[in-house]
Amino acid sequence: MTDKVIELRGVQQRFHARGTPDGYLTAVQDASFTLAADPPQVVSLVGQSGSGKSTIARNVLGLQKPTAGTVTYGGKDIFNLSRAEYDEYRKNVQPVFQDPYSIFNPFYRVDRVLWKAVKKFSLASTREAGEALIEESLKAVSLDPGRVLGRYPHQLSGGQRQRIMLARIHMLRPAFVIADEPVSMLDAQIRKMFLDILLDFQREHRMTTLFITHDLSTVYYLGGQVMVITKGVIVERGPVSSVMHEPSHPYTRLLLDSIPQPDPANRWTTRIKVDESPDADTTAAEAPEPRPLL
Amino acid sequence: MRFLEAVLRTVRHSRRLATGLVILGLMVLLALLSPLIVKAIGGSTDPLELAAYERWLVPGPGHLLGTDQFGRDVFAMVISALAVSLQIGAIAGLISTVVGVIVAFVAGYKGGWIDGLLSTFTGILLVIPTFPLLIALSAYAKNVSLFQVGVMISIFSWPFAAKTIRSQVLSLRSRPYVDLARVSKARDLEIIGTELLPNLLPFIGVGFASSALGAIFGLVGLEVIGLGPGGVIDLGQIIFNAINTGALTLGAWPMFVVPIALLTLLFAALNMINIGLEEVYNPRLRGVAGE
Ligand SMILES: Nc1ncnc2c1ncn2[C@@H]1O[C@H](COP(=O)(O)OP(=O)(O)OP(=O)(O)O)[C@@H](O)[C@H]1O
Ligand SMILES: [Mg+2]
Repeated sequence: MTDKVIELRGVQQRFHARGTPDGYLTAVQDASFTLAADPPQVVSLVGQSGSGKSTIARNVLGLQKPTAGTVTYGGKDIFNLSRAEYDEYRKNVQPVFQDPYSIFNPFYRVDRVLWKAVKKFSLASTREAGEALIEESLKAVSLDPGRVLGRYPHQLSGGQRQRIMLARIHMLRPAFVIADEPVSMLDAQIRKMFLDILLDFQREHRMTTLFITHDLSTVYYLGGQVMVITKGVIVERGPVSSVMHEPSHPYTRLLLDSIPQPDPANRWTTRIKVDESPDADTTAAEAPEPRPLL
Repeated sequence: MRFLEAVLRTVRHSRRLATGLVILGLMVLLALLSPLIVKAIGGSTDPLELAAYERWLVPGPGHLLGTDQFGRDVFAMVISALAVSLQIGAIAGLISTVVGVIVAFVAGYKGGWIDGLLSTFTGILLVIPTFPLLIALSAYAKNVSLFQVGVMISIFSWPFAAKTIRSQVLSLRSRPYVDLARVSKARDLEIIGTELLPNLLPFIGVGFASSALGAIFGLVGLEVIGLGPGGVIDLGQIIFNAINTGALTLGAWPMFVVPIALLTLLFAALNMINIGLEEVYNPRLRGVAGE
């Protein structure tokens, strides 16, 4: 299929919130971008905590309907799909979430998320075929099936749990992986392993990844495209190399400056106050008139 | 079975919970056997019949706890009253829990205006003083069946169950594993049944135990002030009779003491179950529990 494209147009997400002037908090403002499955690529979305990254992920995954704007898959609004289109969309847009602890229901063994994928997406017709598929996928993410199957979530490490989520992705082979800070809770070694698996998936299984992070070093490592978001607004986008070397937006420069310097002479000389970023009073104040709620 | 497994796992973690369950289990067993026990006591005569024996017999080998003002065997009466009290607790507890769980799930999971409406309604029921209303209701209910009494009481006890469970649903429904189920094409009902419900079992248990407790003691309260619905002889009714006839001064102390002892035991058992469940599942107390 050639129309495997996710497109966000003018997505706005507001939440009821106390203590704001109009009773709303705008988490995402006028976000527009396109993710194409062909050619497979990595698009990073980088921004500080609270900038609206997870909200965009939830919009793309269909978990949260934006208050304005549209999210389309293959040209169709994802909140208004026919049964067949919905199945197609679900099969092809899958997440890896941030917290490897709460992604598992503590009541069940970890096998269940894999079996659920097998059953709900009809990946195998017999039990044996399902078992074979699960083992194959666990091995693809360097997990020993014997050591993880039949266990409860709390009996596995964070890295193991997060790789089970990757095994699930490996089974489903979606065209798009929406990874919301998948490595922020992992140590450096496991982090690299995780990123390498993602890059493998891109090459071998032609998956496009929307990679959400607040960490520029992972963005460097992954390469591809990057979008910079601050206070709900995407302020800069382009190939990683050019955005990193010639940032055009002051916020991007600030982000780059805030990477810890390995040079001791350079350390601790400037303090960065996040709230005094140059665009602090522009984004909120000059945002277009909010559209009415649906 | 998963369910049994989970229950066993929970019980292993709390001696209190285990003790409470054992005591409650024994009392339920006693209640279940009550028809046989009554038969064994009476032989060919029905020991609960008016004037079955002489009045005000003191405790002795023939009548372990003596007889009451109508010549009924007190031991047989207490045993069958225990069964009645437990049944009322079970009926009211069950109705409260089922209604509470449904309301809590609809409100908590659907959110929005439905939640607003249901929560307001629950809130209103929570703040109106229930005891006077119960008194008023029972004034109309002179000859009611045991089941009707249970229903009557549960009208007032379900909001308590609903309130606790709703707040749990609210905290559970935004868990990442619920999102994962949704992107795995699980439907709302499936998510409620398989993702949320199992994690709510302890809270449902607490809801059941506290509304059963509330129902039993609510009824006792009504009986003791002489306003209980007629036709149902529970433990409270016997206590009321003992007070009313001055049984203590006539040497018939078991009629007063034994029902109160049984109620105290029941209260302790249900509370141990409540506290035990919270102990095992309260995340703050949990850390050391592991599995
Ligand atoms: N369901 C919600 N209700 C109300 N406010 C919300 C909700 N979800 C997110 N927000 C608010 O929207 C803003 C953006 O949140 P979001 O989770 O998208 O940030 P983020 O960029 O993912 O941050 P982090 O890096 O900490 O994960 C925050 O101010 C948050 O408080
Ligand atoms: Mg986030």
